Amino acid sequence: MDATLKLWLVIVVVGALNYFSRLSFIAFFARRSVPPLLARALRYVPAAMMTALIVPMLLPGPPTVMPALPTPKMLAALVAFVVAWYTHSTLKTLVAGMIALWLLQALAARIG
Amino acid sequence: MLPACIGLIPFGLVCGVGAAAAGASIWGALGMSAIIFSGAAQIIAAQLLAAGAPVAVIILTCVVMGLRFLMYSAAIAPYLRPLSPRLQQALAFLLTDQAFAAAIRRYDAGAHPREGGLHFLGAGFALWLCWQITNVVGYFTGNLVPAIWSMEFAVPLCFIALIAPHFKNAPQIAAGVLAAVAVVALDGLPMRLNLIAAGIAGIVGGTAIELARDRWTRR
Repeated sequence: MDATLKLWLVIVVVGALNYFSRLSFIAFFARRSVPPLLARALRYVPAAMMTALIVPMLLPGPPTVMPALPTPKMLAALVAFVVAWYTHSTLKTLVAGMIALWLLQALAARIG
Repeated sequence: MLPACIGLIPFGLVCGVGAAAAGASIWGALGMSAIIFSGAAQIIAAQLLAAGAPVAVIILTCVVMGLRFLMYSAAIAPYLRPLSPRLQQALAFLLTDQAFAAAIRRYDAGAHPREGGLHFLGAGFALWLCWQITNVVGYFTGNLVPAIWSMEFAVPLCFIALIAPHFKNAPQIAAGVLAAVAVVALDGLPMRLNLIAAGIAGIVGGTAIELARDRWTRR
């Protein structure tokens, strides 16, 4: 499929379905409450989906070649996690994570 | 609202960079930021497009990520009930992680539905505008930043900032750990299906552990 067509198909369909999710209980099911089991399951969407998205970004390559030592990115992510946990601030998390990464990379270059 | 806008700047820049890296035109990048209007979905879409995944897989993965909007919609709906359908439809479009958090905080502090709704509309639109600007800036400036700065690391950092506060009880931690293990273990799956498989494994696992815990404590 043509790349441009593919992109716009994704934009329109994902845009429409996301809008449906956003509007769902405000408009379509306004008179209904969320089924209890669905309400429970939905609470795990951010933790599960975002973790699945994050982890591969921290690995140096495909998981078949797992590093023996934690890489600077893994350690910096840990630092960022602690900062995010305590501050709930995107900005502070970003600053702490980037600085941690740069320091660890400099350190790894010196040792390595 | 200003702090929320400032927090969005790096995330928006990163999404613009991602769209450029996936080979989208500026109109495609703007289409993603203006219509999808969800950083997580935009990052996934850009990554999967770059990896050559089929359209159905991209849509499915983005939509599962977007299921959290069902939760936001249900939580905010009681406050929006007195508002006109027009205003409700506009607010639904502007319902993002950040706008939801700000609106709920305001309503919980006792805001009147109409006053709170108008504030939500203003803040939501400001966030939307800020999002378009940062995405466009990211699109054009992304490749000017030297690779040695590792700016791509800002992507996982934005997600870490979003989810870290969720990890406050055992089922949530289990959902995250399960998803992490599964995404690595299932790396061999084609078309990056490991992403959605791991997400679903985490959601099901977290829910099952919560149900089991409830049953245990009720005894």
